[in-house]
Amino acid sequence: MLHPWFKYGSQSGLPLAAILFLPALVLADGVVVDRVYDPYVQPLEKELEWRSLVVGDAEDPALDRLQVHRLGVGYGFSDRWSGEIYLIGADGGDSELEVEAAELEAKWQLTEQGEYAADWGLLFELEKEFGENQWEGATTLLALREWGRWVGTANLALGYEWGREIESEWETELRLQGRYRLQESFEPALEFYVGEDYRGAGPVIRGSHRFTGARSLTWEFGVILGLDGVSPEQSWRLLVEYEFF
Amino acid sequence: MIEKIRKNYLSFLLCCMSIVPAAAIAAGGPVVELEIINHLFHPSELIVPANTKVKLIVYNRDQTPEEFESYELNREKVIMGGQRAIIFIGPLAPGEYPFFGEFNPRTAQGKVIAQ
Repeated sequence: MLHPWFKYGSQSGLPLAAILFLPALVLADGVVVDRVYDPYVQPLEKELEWRSLVVGDAEDPALDRLQVHRLGVGYGFSDRWSGEIYLIGADGGDSELEVEAAELEAKWQLTEQGEYAADWGLLFELEKEFGENQWEGATTLLALREWGRWVGTANLALGYEWGREIESEWETELRLQGRYRLQESFEPALEFYVGEDYRGAGPVIRGSHRFTGARSLTWEFGVILGLDGVSPEQSWRLLVEYEFF
Repeated sequence: MIEKIRKNYLSFLLCCMSIVPAAAIAAGGPVVELEIINHLFHPSELIVPANTKVKLIVYNRDQTPEEFESYELNREKVIMGGQRAIIFIGPLAPGEYPFFGEFNPRTAQGKVIAQ
């Protein structure tokens, strides 16, 4: 994901020099909190997805009430590959919400579910910001392991960002989720995020509802709390995904 | 000398013959087959050993795709028309685990019985 904090800094009139010299804040690249991906792909499956993130940090007005919204359309091309296109919008609180970036995403399922001790996949992402010549590419290793009703998922991402107005750099992120499969409509989970200048953990709940005609609606909602002084105090995340064939 | 080599070679062969099948069984595990015909699962009840990982091969004999779906088994797999899919299930505690075909849920019903 591109750095909405950087975008916010640019829009709010902060001098570019100030942005470049505040790496801990601005180039935290910030919004590490995102969904935790499983490594699975279903052929022919179409999906509409809305992801929303709202940051709350009373100590930092520049970040407080920052919103990032992603609207995606996806399709399963085969039993190994799926793709998704996103439009990404941000709203810094004072500014209007507008579409600022687009992202292409491809997921590659490497192993059959349950075949080995863990299931594996790879996620490839390429994001372009419209207003500025700014790009980010990332490859993420997806791993999932079951222990009865418990499911542990890990996403380890290696990304590179470049553009005229930012310093090109490599970055890594780790996202972990431990989930208990209580029932299809309600599953509690704990998530943990580590990125450049970000540490956060918090509870998430998720559920699915099936409709006739092989349609389903999945939702996730949670709050990730910053674990150090640099990370935002709260990152509220919501995901709604409608899947159909 | 030649006799010694021959004996060692025979010992090596015998050793391989005893190890290879054991390894194949250990690596392969139980295999169970399931067919989808006219939007029905055949058989509709699969008996598998408990506490053992099972390789389930699902043949979709219909021309239309079907989705093997089971929250209890934590499995979801689309099988294209006229093709097959491999689904690994378990190890399962003894019990019954229902599954259904999400494209034809009224007819495509079944369960795995682990015992």
